[in-house]
Amino acid sequence: MAAQVQHQEKQQSDSVILRSKEPIELHPLAPDADTLPKNFLLRVRELGDKVAVRKKRYGIWLAYSWNDSYRIVRNFCLALVEMGLQRGDKVAIIGENDPQFYWAQIAIWAAGGTTTAIFTDAGLQELAYVVDNSDAAYLIAHDQEQVDKALAIRDKIPNVRRVIYWDDKGMWAYDDPWLACFDIMVDEGESLAAAQPNRFEELIAQGSGDDIALFSYTSGTTSLPKGAMIRHRNLMYGNRHVINIAPTYPTDEYVSFSPLAWITEQSLGLTGHVVSGVTVNFPESAGTVQNDIREIAPSSLLFPSRIWEGLASTMQMRINDSTWINRALFATFLPIAYKVIDYEDAEKPIPLHLRLLRAVGETAVFAPLRNMIGMTRVRNAFTSGSTLSPDQLRFFRAVGVELKNLYGSTECQAHTLHYKGNVKLATVGAPAPGVEIRIVENNEILIRSRAVFAGYYKDPEKTAKALDTDGWFHTGDAGYADPDGHLIYLDRVSDMIELANGEAFSPQYIEGRLKFSPYIQDVMAVGGSDTHFVTAIINIEFDNVARWAEKNRISFTTFVDLSQRPEVQDLIRREVHRVNETLPPAAQLQKFVVLHKAFDADENELTRTRKLRRRTLEQKYADLIHAMYHNIDEVIVRAEVKYRDGRTGTVDTAVKVCSV
Amino acid sequence: MTDAESAVKLHVQNISLSFGGIRALNDVDFSVRRGEIFAVIGPNGAGKTSLINSINGFYHPQSGAVIFDGQDITPLPAYKRAKMGISRTFQNIALYTNMTTLDNLMAARHIHMKSNMLTGALFIGPAKREEIEHRRKVEEIIDFLEMEAIRKTIVGNLSYGLRKRVELGRALALEPTLLLLDEPMAGMNVEEKEDMARFILDIHERQGMTIVLIEHDMGLVMDISHRVVALDFGQKIAQGTPDDIKRDPRVIKAYLGQEAG
Repeated sequence: MAAQVQHQEKQQSDSVILRSKEPIELHPLAPDADTLPKNFLLRVRELGDKVAVRKKRYGIWLAYSWNDSYRIVRNFCLALVEMGLQRGDKVAIIGENDPQFYWAQIAIWAAGGTTTAIFTDAGLQELAYVVDNSDAAYLIAHDQEQVDKALAIRDKIPNVRRVIYWDDKGMWAYDDPWLACFDIMVDEGESLAAAQPNRFEELIAQGSGDDIALFSYTSGTTSLPKGAMIRHRNLMYGNRHVINIAPTYPTDEYVSFSPLAWITEQSLGLTGHVVSGVTVNFPESAGTVQNDIREIAPSSLLFPSRIWEGLASTMQMRINDSTWINRALFATFLPIAYKVIDYEDAEKPIPLHLRLLRAVGETAVFAPLRNMIGMTRVRNAFTSGSTLSPDQLRFFRAVGVELKNLYGSTECQAHTLHYKGNVKLATVGAPAPGVEIRIVENNEILIRSRAVFAGYYKDPEKTAKALDTDGWFHTGDAGYADPDGHLIYLDRVSDMIELANGEAFSPQYIEGRLKFSPYIQDVMAVGGSDTHFVTAIINIEFDNVARWAEKNRISFTTFVDLSQRPEVQDLIRREVHRVNETLPPAAQLQKFVVLHKAFDADENELTRTRKLRRRTLEQKYADLIHAMYHNIDEVIVRAEVKYRDGRTGTVDTAVKVCSV
Repeated sequence: MTDAESAVKLHVQNISLSFGGIRALNDVDFSVRRGEIFAVIGPNGAGKTSLINSINGFYHPQSGAVIFDGQDITPLPAYKRAKMGISRTFQNIALYTNMTTLDNLMAARHIHMKSNMLTGALFIGPAKREEIEHRRKVEEIIDFLEMEAIRKTIVGNLSYGLRKRVELGRALALEPTLLLLDEPMAGMNVEEKEDMARFILDIHERQGMTIVLIEHDMGLVMDISHRVVALDFGQKIAQGTPDDIKRDPRVIKAYLGQEAG
């Protein structure tokens, strides 16, 4: 117990400070490497002709060396400055992950600018809000689709001087002088660079680690998004917090797929590229990602938990659709792999026969399965965003992917992570070296580190609320520390439910367990001290349920029809039973509804990172929730549907209330 | 060729076509200008598909002529017209359903291939170079029509909307100068229709392609085409800009039926 006391000093009666047990020191940043562009120059010098980025196009991987990257970034930077970009100017970028996105950010930083990345599926209002709120002087828009959005909101973003696009497909007939083309600017930059050979390096030398690199708009489950100001040094320390534990090397291959509007991609993807020289691969299109990952077999991967959940479902469904031999092998070896994990977790020696069987399973099932999803070389597999349930983590570990939870926030990047051989499934890991965690009353988690952000842009009031004078960031998350100094994440403080028996409980925990079912895509658990029991609104995973229905000869027409089939509701009921068995009685689900539609970020039901917006959902489905607590069997739901093009319509559906 | 003639890409000259006693087309005459999107509309059975079939050479009208780039192509068979630069899509998709998207597109490059069966089978020298060159062209089309994700998918497993897109890709792989689209948006949902409309506009803008298109969805036709001809019972009943056509009483009658009284 001595070691434990050492790391968990009691500061006040109600607060405990958690620190990493690893003896790793965070050295201060060298002055020639305290910004990302400065690091970029260092990498170019070191790695020169080695591959920096790859992009798959026309069915082949096109490679760009560090020298190629240097030329493009330098030229684009000089062309931007020529266009009028000044130190301190803000630039918004909306687009899919592409080398140009990375290059543009480095170029803007080199010129002393601040970037704001925006989710590509942002609607007109959302885009106008972020561009305007961030005071962007320029907008970089991927392609015709995004340029059209910019043109549509032109009068709402008067500060935007020019819109620059990098994919010219469909842009041939546009001759608005407001628009500029990335490639043409890069060509123009060539002569600017020839005229002023050292200008680019001079611009970079003016930067300092305290400059604001980016505004990262928090998804805001409750209110309008706020722009968290992240400094260069924040990004670099945020990256170090992770790579000190999970090292990366210039020989590493990374697949950039998570949106750059998400801080974790900035911190591990772009910062990792510039700081560690990791090669970054950009998939051909959203639809080819799985195949492209297979071709690259990356060493590091970062997906939101959502994608891992999808991947687990896909793997399970593929096994189910496979030949009986494969199904039998999988059914035989999976329980063995689970047993091995149990021994590992208990830190007990694994019996020889289990080791042998696990080794056979490796060759027979698990290695081919990992090959199928491109995870043959993966060393650092991270999940972030909302927490992945222990079932999912166990599943991936069983098949041989050491998936690690990364718990963090937009404001401080990664807080805790799972260490090398120390993955405790029930926890989100231990603090990274350099991160301090304090738990205060309400179980709220507070963070202090060198990655803590500089405040919310133009919002001193919210900044003061989130960031106290001692430098602690109030996450608004609830959790507690386990005896080994690992953090157990519960939920948002505001989302915690008090059960009828007075116990505090996390709906997200119930939801996570349910989402492990391949047939359930999303769940919102409802309950509280004013109600007698817990209920849930469930979204079916359409593809998998449809396939199940087909196999069982259940006919259906649409999503709505399928969701209300009694057989499907029985299927979901069985899944609920399974989960109920693992829950304390007061937290067990008594009733649920299978919703007639999927939760949708376009309808404001989810954030762009697919977290539930509980308040919105509770309001929207108030009738359904009321019915579950008042013995009503069926509710006619009139849902307003908002299409992507802004039109609205209504759908009437009878949704049945199911008892468990 | 005079200036007026060179501005005309296709001239359908008073063609008539009958099957037994049924008159599919009756003295239909119009011309399509170089680089325009030209729509053919009309109710079911008006003779729209027969017209397209007569242009690409599946049907041979009993009277009249089809003039393409100033040349009378009336007697030529369909494959010769394809080599001259006329390609088309079908109302009821006609693809090799057991082949991949990529192979369907490569097959369309056949008319541009020079290697013979022997060099092709051995895959040596010029044959290999040629294959790579054709693959490059096909990949450009896959990129253009955003079909990367279905490149290696068997066409039979694709959704209807995607199959239509593959068909458009195959028509483009022939590198035509005149593209005939037979109901490219039929049976699609709104989003798919809008995608298809965007692709048609992109093809037109990018390559200045002359496009003749048959379509039922009046709204979309009117949005994307420069000129429209309306058929009813095998006869041309109106021709003009989309606005003219929308106001034309004969067109309204053909679509909505005759008013009582």
